Amino acid sequence: MNESDQLDAAFAALANPTRRAILARLAQGQATVNALAEPFDMSLPAVSKHIRVLEAAGLITRGKNAQFRPCTLNAKPLESITNWTEQYRHIWDARFDRMGSILKNMKEAKDG
Amino acid sequence: MDDQQKWVKIQRAFEAPIDAVWKMWTDPDLFKQWYGPMGMSVPTAEMNLVVGGTRKICMEMKTPERTMSMWFIGVYKEINSPSRLIYTESMCDADGTILSPESMGMPAGHPDVTEVIVDLHETNGKTIMTMVHVGVPEGSAGGGGWKQAFEKLAELVSKTA
Repeated sequence: MNESDQLDAAFAALANPTRRAILARLAQGQATVNALAEPFDMSLPAVSKHIRVLEAAGLITRGKNAQFRPCTLNAKPLESITNWTEQYRHIWDARFDRMGSILKNMKEAKDG
Repeated sequence: MDDQQKWVKIQRAFEAPIDAVWKMWTDPDLFKQWYGPMGMSVPTAEMNLVVGGTRKICMEMKTPERTMSMWFIGVYKEINSPSRLIYTESMCDADGTILSPESMGMPAGHPDVTEVIVDLHETNGKTIMTMVHVGVPEGSAGGGGWKQAFEKLAELVSKTA
């Protein structure tokens, strides 16, 4: 993944309160899926699904131990997200993409 | 890290007349259509387009669990239609009371007040837009980084859980 894709994946993963809570828990140290699921009123498969999203976004890594596979926080993608300027550059770029398509549509409506 | 550069500069060229791009920033109905980041909508955009006039924006994100609203307030510092616009921005509550970014779960070092500077000029039917978003560091000494961001996140999560 290039940096922009990685940011997109990380932002999407963070746009969910359960996943933010999982990350907040992992900031205190590694934990198994069972331990992570404990505070939530949802099924283990549902929690596993959230964990897979976080893993795909590169925000957590899973251990190799086949039985427990504890989750560990990977802070690397968060460094760029929590960097104020990077965060805003990303947001403004997405905004200006939309502004560009609105202006294009207006022009086409006028010309056509 | 007080000397850390806290600004973003983006330049874009649009195949549109300068007045159309100016309206994107100053007409609330048009502004609402492009401004919301990453799946957020903009239900409120109040713009008192005079120097010293107030500008208030609400961004809203709906998740199956709840609706999250973020409010921003600021004032216009310069209005030079259709080529230059400067306004300030701070996080606030629905009543317009300014909140510190850290109390909203933002990373330490996030500026309390930011300023958005938009410059437009037209050449051959194209409009070149230069936007600078600069942090105004007031008591935001920085040095935080992502670890503190996580502490804030954990705090926020425990409050909203």
